[in-house]
Amino acid sequence: MPTSWWTRSRHYLLYVVREFTALPLALWLLWLLVEIKRVGDGPGRYSPHGSTAFVVFSVIVLLFALYHSFTFLTLAGTIIHVKFMDRPVPPSLIVLSQFALWAVASGVIAFILIWFGR
Amino acid sequence: MPDKKVTIQATRFDPDRDEKPRLQSYEIPFYDESMVVLDALNYIKSHIDGSLSYRWSCRMGICGSCGMMVNGTPKLTCNAFLRDYWPRPIVVEPLNNFPLIRDLVIDMDDFMHKLKSVKPWIIRKQEIPLGGGEHRQTNDQIDEFRQFSECINCMLCYAACPVYGLNNEFLGPAATALARRYNLDSRDEGLTQRLPVIADTEGVWECSFVGECSVVCPKGVDPAKAIQQTKLDTTMRFVLPFGNRE
Repeated sequence: MPTSWWTRSRHYLLYVVREFTALPLALWLLWLLVEIKRVGDGPGRYSPHGSTAFVVFSVIVLLFALYHSFTFLTLAGTIIHVKFMDRPVPPSLIVLSQFALWAVASGVIAFILIWFGR
Repeated sequence: MPDKKVTIQATRFDPDRDEKPRLQSYEIPFYDESMVVLDALNYIKSHIDGSLSYRWSCRMGICGSCGMMVNGTPKLTCNAFLRDYWPRPIVVEPLNNFPLIRDLVIDMDDFMHKLKSVKPWIIRKQEIPLGGGEHRQTNDQIDEFRQFSECINCMLCYAACPVYGLNNEFLGPAATALARRYNLDSRDEGLTQRLPVIADTEGVWECSFVGECSVVCPKGVDPAKAIQQTKLDTTMRFVLPFGNRE
C-alpha cells in the first residue's frame, strides 16, 4: 500500500479525517483531567484557561466531536436490527432515536453543569 | 458509428521477464453501446494480443471472476460499461491488495484460505437423516440472512479495503459477511465454531469502518453492515448474562 492511499478517493479522505479527530479529542480530554485535578486542589490553585488560542482549539475539537458523533450515531441504523410488532423498525427511525437520545443527554448534562456551576 | 474508438490501458506483467508491472495501451473499436470493459479485453485477446491474461467466466455478474481495478475503482469488468468512460482512456489494473501472478491475474489463495476458515456452510450438531424431511424456514427467517447470501466472492471488497491492504491478516469483508450469513441461518448450529475466527483481533475488531467495501460491492451485500453487526453481537455475548449460551 502506498502511503498516499488515503488521497485516492474522497471516501478514504473522510475516513482518515474521522480517525484523526480522535487525537485532538484525546488531547482535549487529557487537559480536562488536569483541570479537574486543579479544581480538586482548591479555588486558589484553579484558574480557567481562557486564551483565544485555547477557545479556537476547543471549538475545533467540538466540531471534530460532532463529526465523530454524527458518524457513530448514523451507524446505529446499520447495526441495530430490532422488530416491533413482528415488523423491522426502519433504520431511519433508529437513527432518529439515537439523535434524540443524544440531544436529551446533552441537555441533561448541560443543565447539571449550569445548575451546580452557579 | 463504426469508427468510434476507445483506448484501454491494461497492466502487463510477465514474472519471468518483467521487474514490475507496466501499462500497455490498446485502441479498440467501440462498436456497440452495450460493450463492457470485459468485451474490450476479449477483443484485445482475440484480435490484438493473445498473450493478455485475465480471469473471466460468466459475463453476467454472477461468477465473480472478472473483478479488476477500472480507473482505480474495483469493478466487475462485465458490469463496467465503456459508454460510462468514453472518450477518456480506461485504465484496467489487477485488483489492489493481492499479489500479482501475471498481467491482470491476482493470487487469491489468501482469500480462499480466509473463506474456508469461517466455514461458510451449514453446520449441524446432529445431521437429520434424509428420511427425516427437509429443514423448513419461514420467509422471515430467510430474510434474516438473504442479503449476505448474495456474495459472489468477487473480492472487490478486499481490493477496496485499506485495512486489509495494510494488514492482510485481517479476515476481511466478504468472509465476515458469509460467516454472518450462516450464523443468521435458522438451520445452522455452527456459531461457536466460527466465533474464534470472526471475534479474533484480526477478525471483526480489526475493522475501523472505512465502509468502502459496501460501496464497491456489486451485489448490495453490505459487508460493512455484517462486520458492525457482528461486533455488536459478540459484545453482547460477552456482556450480557447468559450471553454465551448456545
